Amino acid sequence: MSIFIQIFLNSLETGGIYALAALGIILIFRTSNTTNYAQGAISMFNAFVATYILIGTNLPVYIVAILGMLSAFVVGVLVDRIVISKTQNMDPVSKQIITLGLLMIFLGLAPMLFGTDPIQFPRFIYGSLTILGATISYNAILNIVVVIILVSFLFYMLQRSKWGLSIRATASNEVVARMMGIPTSIVTMTSWAIAAALGTLSALMLAPSTSVSISMMDGVQIIAFLSCVLGGFQTFHGPVIAAYIIGFASNFISYYISSIWSDPILYILILVVILFKPNGLFGKKMVKKV
Amino acid sequence: MSNETVKSKDLVLKIEDLSIAFGGLKAVDSLSFEIKEKEIFGLIGPNGAGKTTVFNCITQFYKPDQGKVLFKGNNGEIENLVGQKTHEIISKGLVRTFQNIELIKELSVIDNLLIGSHIEFKASVLSQLLRLPKARKEEEVLRKKAEEILKYMDLYDIKDQLVGGQPYGILKRIELARTLMCNPKLIILDEPAAGLNEAETIALIEKVRDIRDRYNCSILLVEHDMKFVSDLCDRVCAISFGKFLAIGTPEEIQNNEKVQIAYLGKEEDYA
Amino acid sequence: MKKKDNKLVMWYKNKKPYSSYILFGIILSVLPILVELKALKYSYLTTIASILIYSIVGLGLNILLGYSGLISLGTAGFMGLGTYLSAYLTADLNLPFELALLISIAVPILVGILTGLVSLRIEGFYLAIATLAISEIFRKVFVEFEVVTNGFSGKKADYPTLLGFIELGRNGTFILIVAILVVIMIITYNLINSYTGRAFLTMRGSESAAKAMGINIYKYRLLSFAITVAYAGLGGVLYMHFVKYTYPDTWTLLLSLNILAAIVIGGIRSIPGTILGSFVVFGVPDLILKRLPIIGQFDGLAYIFNGVLIVLVVLFYPTGLIHVKEKFKRKNTKLQKEEGSYSE
Repeated sequence: MSIFIQIFLNSLETGGIYALAALGIILIFRTSNTTNYAQGAISMFNAFVATYILIGTNLPVYIVAILGMLSAFVVGVLVDRIVISKTQNMDPVSKQIITLGLLMIFLGLAPMLFGTDPIQFPRFIYGSLTILGATISYNAILNIVVVIILVSFLFYMLQRSKWGLSIRATASNEVVARMMGIPTSIVTMTSWAIAAALGTLSALMLAPSTSVSISMMDGVQIIAFLSCVLGGFQTFHGPVIAAYIIGFASNFISYYISSIWSDPILYILILVVILFKPNGLFGKKMVKKV
Repeated sequence: MSNETVKSKDLVLKIEDLSIAFGGLKAVDSLSFEIKEKEIFGLIGPNGAGKTTVFNCITQFYKPDQGKVLFKGNNGEIENLVGQKTHEIISKGLVRTFQNIELIKELSVIDNLLIGSHIEFKASVLSQLLRLPKARKEEEVLRKKAEEILKYMDLYDIKDQLVGGQPYGILKRIELARTLMCNPKLIILDEPAAGLNEAETIALIEKVRDIRDRYNCSILLVEHDMKFVSDLCDRVCAISFGKFLAIGTPEEIQNNEKVQIAYLGKEEDYA
Repeated sequence: MKKKDNKLVMWYKNKKPYSSYILFGIILSVLPILVELKALKYSYLTTIASILIYSIVGLGLNILLGYSGLISLGTAGFMGLGTYLSAYLTADLNLPFELALLISIAVPILVGILTGLVSLRIEGFYLAIATLAISEIFRKVFVEFEVVTNGFSGKKADYPTLLGFIELGRNGTFILIVAILVVIMIITYNLINSYTGRAFLTMRGSESAAKAMGINIYKYRLLSFAITVAYAGLGGVLYMHFVKYTYPDTWTLLLSLNILAAIVIGGIRSIPGTILGSFVVFGVPDLILKRLPIIGQFDGLAYIFNGVLIVLVVLFYPTGLIHVKEKFKRKNTKLQKEEGSYSE
């Protein structure tokens, strides 16, 4: 029983990390109409930046994390201004190829600037406590809580603020939104910036267990996409919930079935679910106008 | 002449109680009409009346919520098209054009026509990869057919030019030419005269009549240009908000009170 | 007075582009001779061989992306599958090369069809994510199925033996690769100009037109993907029998991206463009970039180079570098051709 609780608690943390990454993907997907394949690499890049800041300045970890997210924010803005804004009228496939190009650029920049050796990034807070026989670290609790607060805050802003309304309008129909006077290019820019920041936080939460390395976000990246596939691309909350579901599934499969094959099993399970629910668990079927 | 007295053996298409709703909005509401063989039939209605939606329901691009689309195909049998897959429709003898002109920019004019006879190509993938005689032969035969149609439609001179970059009037003609490749029994034209100038429109009217005679087919079209519809169509069906208004000759329709109100009536109808 | 073309030149002109492909193959076949004569370094030959192998795989991906408008991120996985299978079948099971070749192409096709059956039922972009997942599963399989793959230690195989008794050496294998590339170029050309090729382009250009003209989009997407995967498997087999050694870390997303980069940069929907692109992506880093002073030493320069090229090409020369010369000429001619993009 205590193992069950242990896995349950771990899953909350894993799910949260996945949720941040997935939210980044769906935010860009719904506002720029493209899957951003560079998300993981940009997150990894800024995780390196944060780590270097930490090594260079010895500031407290959480401040460094915020600085890392700020750096990500800037990177996101730059990427949008220099590249993405020029693709506004392109078809989705071309846009995706551009993000693949960006992925390669960041995968090349990272080892060039930061070297190929993994480096350590510490937890935000040390120590642990025991609940019902299961041990959970304070760091994990912090991560779980931070993600819930952050995601809730973002959803609140999406529903209640002017910015959120702009995002939802652009996501629904970019051309009409623009005609209504919504500055969609700014909406796109903030989406890329926020997505980068979310991804970086995700990476930094992951960092203590995987170290900061070039390939650190590879697994999370795939799960982020699969969360959107499973949760459906038509809503913002779908991928987030799906991310938690996958987090749970991943940990339970890993423990109870096989830890080596947990990823393949997970991927195949998700693809099977899609067979029955092609638009995702929360997706709606869109009728295409002919 | 009312619909009911027309014998079914003269009919090529019969729509019965066709309905489709999007969300809460009923786009087409219990629509019924019939099209005879060798008839040029027009569908008119104010903007937003649901005309293209009707086309999409007939051609199975949309699946209607209720109703039947009875079509007498190339094999002479009457079938209900509802529930069939979109790509199966053309093999029955029903082909359409699109409001937005769906041609392939990267292909030449003649290649775009060859797409129109896709269903006639039977060679296996292997045969095509190795360019075996069977594949070469059917390509040759169908290419000749395409050239004949291009000559008929005055497009032969540009047959090897890319479709991308051609003027609008030419594009419309190419799309029309494409429909002829499959020996259709019914051609559905979605706003064929849109964007054409007066000379082109007159030429189009003559051409559509000629196509009907030459190919022994019926034509169903939707258009906003009332003069075009009156000059060309044998019978017209008027709809408004997806509902049937009236059916008859162009003259009868123009003088029909309900139609006049729908087109020119209360202020709100303009929204 | 104009000199009359002799028979050979006339044959060349009439049979284009087949003749230019064959000529290309003949020129390439001379290279091993140059190596024997010490006029060309062996390492260059290896680089060129990999460029040719990736061109074969790239042509398959071009059919998928350029003609059918679908992205696959699993190319490396399917290629690796062909590689490992061929190694196991020839080295461990001692099957004849030709049989191993057939099986090593058939199995990826099967897996490809299964993948496609699931992911192509929905929107086209699901294929990208599904192939990404499948590729990762492959990599796991390559690491864990040690019986077949030897895991991290890597798998060895030898130069192929044709018809049971012709043992090819290094040069013979190179010429085999060239020959297969030429054949693949020819059949790809045939495919593109057949009704299936037109059907692919139609589904990419306009799903509505495709459906209205009787093209079963699901079926044709599956077909396209199966062909792509077959090419990848073939490339994998050739890789194994020329390089003679492979290990799991070769078959990563990065390789899939590089192959994608090759066709985008070189020329989408272009057969010579694919070769050009492969040269840029797989040749330039080894032949030029690595030898540059100072920056040549940095890992990752090649990726940045290719990544930047992708972005530039998509933004400014969507039809690829192969058409750049044309683009400048075209600005002066009256006939305007529409600039192609990837799924418009």
